[in-house]
Amino acid sequence: MHSILAVDDSASMRQMVSFTLKSAGYKVTEAVDGQDAYDKAAMGGFDLVLTDQNMPNLDGIGLTRKLRDHPNFKTTPILILTTESSDQMKQAGRAAGATGWLVKPFDPVRLIEVIRKVVR
Amino acid sequence: MSDMSTDSAGAGIDLSQFYAVFFEEAGENLDRMEQLLLAIDVTAADDEELNAIFRCAHSIKGGAATFGFADVAELTHQMETLLDKLRRHELQATPAMVDVLLQSGDALRSQLGRHQGAGGEVVDTTELLANIRAFTSGKAPVAAAAQPQPAEGLVSVPAAPVAVAAAPAVDDDVPVTLSGERILELTLGPLDKPELAASIVELFKEIEGLGTIEPIDGGMAQEGMRRFRVTTGSSDADLLDLFGFHVAREQCVLRPFAGERVAPGYGFHPGAPGSPVQEECKGYGFFDDAPGAPGSAPAAAAPAPAAAKPTAKPAEKAPAAALEAATIRVSVEKVDQLINLMGELVITQAMLAQNSRSIDPVLYQSMVSGLTALDRNTRDLQEAVMSIRMIPMQTVFSRFPRMLRDLASKLGKKVELVTVGEATELDKGLVEKITDPLTHLVRNSCDHGIELPAERLAKGKPETGTITLAASHQGGSIVIEVKDDGKGLSREKLIKKARERGIDAPDTMSDADVWALIFAPGFSTAEVVTDVSGRGVGMDVVKKNIAALGGTVEIDSAEGYGMRVAVRLPLTLAIMDGMSVGVGEEVYILPLSSVVESFQVGENIVKTIGGNGRVVEVREEFMPVLELERLFEVPRHGDESPGGIMVVIEAEGGRVALLVDELLGQQQVVVKNLEANYRKVDDISGATIMGDGRVALILDVGSLVRRSRH
Repeated sequence: MHSILAVDDSASMRQMVSFTLKSAGYKVTEAVDGQDAYDKAAMGGFDLVLTDQNMPNLDGIGLTRKLRDHPNFKTTPILILTTESSDQMKQAGRAAGATGWLVKPFDPVRLIEVIRKVVR
Repeated sequence: MSDMSTDSAGAGIDLSQFYAVFFEEAGENLDRMEQLLLAIDVTAADDEELNAIFRCAHSIKGGAATFGFADVAELTHQMETLLDKLRRHELQATPAMVDVLLQSGDALRSQLGRHQGAGGEVVDTTELLANIRAFTSGKAPVAAAAQPQPAEGLVSVPAAPVAVAAAPAVDDDVPVTLSGERILELTLGPLDKPELAASIVELFKEIEGLGTIEPIDGGMAQEGMRRFRVTTGSSDADLLDLFGFHVAREQCVLRPFAGERVAPGYGFHPGAPGSPVQEECKGYGFFDDAPGAPGSAPAAAAPAPAAAKPTAKPAEKAPAAALEAATIRVSVEKVDQLINLMGELVITQAMLAQNSRSIDPVLYQSMVSGLTALDRNTRDLQEAVMSIRMIPMQTVFSRFPRMLRDLASKLGKKVELVTVGEATELDKGLVEKITDPLTHLVRNSCDHGIELPAERLAKGKPETGTITLAASHQGGSIVIEVKDDGKGLSREKLIKKARERGIDAPDTMSDADVWALIFAPGFSTAEVVTDVSGRGVGMDVVKKNIAALGGTVEIDSAEGYGMRVAVRLPLTLAIMDGMSVGVGEEVYILPLSSVVESFQVGENIVKTIGGNGRVVEVREEFMPVLELERLFEVPRHGDESPGGIMVVIEAEGGRVALLVDELLGQQQVVVKNLEANYRKVDDISGATIMGDGRVALILDVGSLVRRSRH
């Protein structure tokens, strides 16, 4: 069973993402912001990080940057889930080392579809 | 979960299960946003504040769009656009913007309320949206020419209503035709009857000038959903209103048309770790060269393998669901049930303690020490359980900055609110009930206490008045003070007014008694408000409501310097200090706070007046006598001596002497609601179970005093 770290500061989004992923058979760990995610990620064992962009303490791009510096996360897919759809934001994500992006609002089916592309 | 289940993934998830969390969260975000907006100094707003406000709107928008509350998403989208420019310093914040944002917050509250089934009118946000957009565009030529890229992901939110077809004052994100019409993507559904979509298509045929509609994906997105490309000059609001004749508004989502690519909102960055084979954007994207991307081409040099095996990992050892560590949300019912059970336990423990008194402590030493330990543990447990219901006064105080701001600006006054002791905790039940009386007091202070700026300056006071709200624990009570540095109460005027109203007010009255005059029913009327130093309407109601909570109100004032109202409340409603009295074989409980004194009934001090009214003279004051025995028709067996003790109680400004057989003692009692368990009984406010297991009724002293009045 693949393990996913889901990061979002909004409890409702977190619940929904988590529920969707769990229904699809993934194991999910939740984190409430970038910093929390980084602390949890350090424990290792994640096949994918799915993170919101706009969060207090540490945003999604900041988290991506920090994770890429961590030896365990050199190749792990990191998807930034965000309502920011501007190219600028995408390029910032890219520069930070994100694998891809996914725009909110998304529908559960699409979320799984995208995740299946990177987690096999 | 087996791998098999993977195939049925996510499809058809019922989003409504997340609504409750979303509503709660959105409410919290709105509260936070309001507080931040009220606190902000527009001339020197710092980045962190602006970011925090932005995040609140952003967060609500994200959820609203995901869970399909289009109206909420639309409004928050516009707010977010404005706030984004503010935080990027492309615009300078103004008080007018803050006002509009505050109003938007109110509108969002109503919208959310409506979605939660609270009812109410559909909130018309046309004007708000127009105002926000004016701020966003009008004053920001800097960024106005933003790249009109038909955003790759879904832009998530319907564009704002635009009045005229020709007016190209359109949201940057919306594709526009040469004639100025907007191109939108309409999503309908989930529809019970997919044929309803056809009625929408009909609309465009029937109504001239509405625009054109054509299906995307053959009109079939997925089960029950239909998607269309709409070219129109009408506003979103107008369109949605029209569609509303056929399809529920919640089922219509309009968003800027995202182009033929059918961008569903994700993408991979070519070459990014883990990117899959490059494909045309679908509203997501992978970067080819990024770690973990699903390898654009297996042959490529990219470290594509990604996902499969990042590093040696302790496979499934990840902590399961470490949710928010600090708090958990629990329904109030569960807490109440816990408190109820706690009450039962306290009673059982008291029963054990009582029954064990006759046990020989030498013979049953370990039993007795066990019971002692039980006593201590029960008390600790009780305290801990009660603390769950305690919530900080912050929740009450937080509503006042906004209220005062509005009120002060309406009255043309300058008022600053200072709050002290927001962290002081109070029982949730009390918090709900104290809010209205406090609101009344604060409003009075602003309305009648604080003077107009000019008047204040003339008196040598600072132009801005101060209202202080302070909460603190004092013994077993919480004291909440409302202080102002306004004009205060005038002794002479109050006495004069009292005499005009036929209230006996000798010149020798103490200050405290004079101030207490404003609690007299009917004393504070609109007339008083304007003539006298003007403490507003309905102070008697305030006092009554607070008394009903077992609390008291004290006033202190100095003319010209201000006034202080102190409200003292018990910490909780669930436990009460009571005095138990015996009548026949029954035991009744009186709230200790209402007991004034008790004395033995001497010969001939009870006098009969009128028909069967009886009074007793205590220190030259006559007060009505109520015989509990008669009132409750207590059966009397044998030949115990009838009533010999008077207990004087005070409530709602009146006193009554109750005739009882004996005083049994004082104790804390766990209050049980009689209405919930039986029905409303006159003169009884609740019941409790005594240490010996018997039920004792708690007397409603307010009702007893009222009974004696006629």
